[in-house]
Formats: sequence, structure tokens, C-alpha cells
Amino acid sequence: MEIIDTQRGPVVIVEPRGRMDTTGAKPFGDRLAELIGSGSHHLLIDMQHILYVSSAGFRALLVAHKMVDDTHGKLVLCGVSSELRRLFEIGRFLDLFTICATRDEGIARAT
Amino acid sequence: MTEIETRIRNCRTEMPTVVDMVERFGAEHRIPRNVVNDLNVVLDEVLNNIISYAYRPGEQSDIVVRLTMRPREITAEIEDRGRPFDPLRAPAPDLSAPLRERKVGGLGIHFVKKLMDHVAYARIAKTNRLRLRKRLDASR
Repeated sequence: MEIIDTQRGPVVIVEPRGRMDTTGAKPFGDRLAELIGSGSHHLLIDMQHILYVSSAGFRALLVAHKMVDDTHGKLVLCGVSSELRRLFEIGRFLDLFTICATRDEGIARAT
Repeated sequence: MTEIETRIRNCRTEMPTVVDMVERFGAEHRIPRNVVNDLNVVLDEVLNNIISYAYRPGEQSDIVVRLTMRPREITAEIEDRGRPFDPLRAPAPDLSAPLRERKVGGLGIHFVKKLMDHVAYARIAKTNRLRLRKRLDASR
């Protein structure tokens, strides 16, 4: 998995690319933990280049979400295709995550 | 009917081999992208489960993954020689828990059941065999 992150004001936009599966969830989760650990508590995760998310990927997202909550930060998602949204729905994750339609909206919500 | 098969060791680093096989099979048979993704998700769940829980620490074993294309249907079979385990009898996950209490245990098999049209488990000799079927004409 390739992960690009960019700072936009107080928000770090994290853009993982590929498959958020057992293999991909590891570097993704590690990168999020690293960012949060080094003081980035406002994260926008842009999912537009993610093909699918398995439970390993959801676990990484949940762990990061809890870490950010502990620091009173925010974790917001954007770029969730209808294909991906279906997986969030099946896992009943739609209520747990803030999912925004655009990056700009996501940045505003994550700030 | 076309069939493709791969044998991997019970090790997470082997899992991309299966992803590659699914992608190749999907391209060859022009399987829709959403179905290829579903197959990859469920195989990730099943293989991760087997590799995590089916063996004694340090035990080495092979897992066979086989894909079969039939008219309007794909079958994925996963065979392992780990301890007997019927994932269909595993307890259902609590999907209504709030963030703090939310666990992902059991979520994998929930995805398998929801994304596939038919799931069957059999213990044959010393082998666990999970057979997953996905219809191709099924509208979601």
C-alpha cells in the first residue's frame, strides 16, 4: 500500500492507495499511529484510491478513530465510493465514522 | 468450466499471491470489478482467520485456494488442514456497539455471509473445506 499525506492547515490529509486488507492495513495503521503519536490529531482520510476494505482495514480505522478521540481530535473520511459505502453499511460503520462528500467539506469537519 | 488453484503456506505474507490470482482470474473471465472486490474481501477474511487461529504456534501447513468459473457463477474453495473450525457456527458480532466498545471479532465471517450467495463448510478427513458461491447475474 502506498500512503501519501499532506498537511492542510491543522488537518493532515491521508491518502492510502490500493487494498485495505490484511496486507495493506498494517502499514496504513502504522502510519496513522505515527501521525497521531507525533501530534497530528486532526485527520482526513481520503479513500478515493481504495479498492476495498476488509475487516483488517476496518480495525485499523477503528483503532485510529479511538486514538484520535482520546486526544480530542477528529478523524473524518472522504472519497468513499458507493462500492466502498456498501462495505461500511454491511459492517454497520456508517454511524461510527463521519463521511464527507468532498475534501473541502472533510477539511472543515476535521478542523 | 474453468478452474484455477494456488497453494500457499499458512503465513500472512503469502496472501498477496491469492489477490493476484483473483485479479488474473477476474480479468480472464471479465468478471465485474465489484465481484472481484467481493471475492478479495472474503478470501482476505477467510485466510486471515485460518492463518490466525487454525494452527499451533510455529506449525507449518499449506492452504489451497481454488476458483471455479461456471456459467453465471463463481465458486471459491478454501482447504486447510488446521484444527476443525466451522466459521458458520461462530458467534455473530455485535454491530450496534458504540465506537468505544466496538470490536471487529466476528466481522470477517459477517462479511463473508453478506457478500457471498452461498457458504458451506465441511470437514473431510483432516481437511476443513469452505465453499463460497457468488452468482454473477445477481443484482445487488
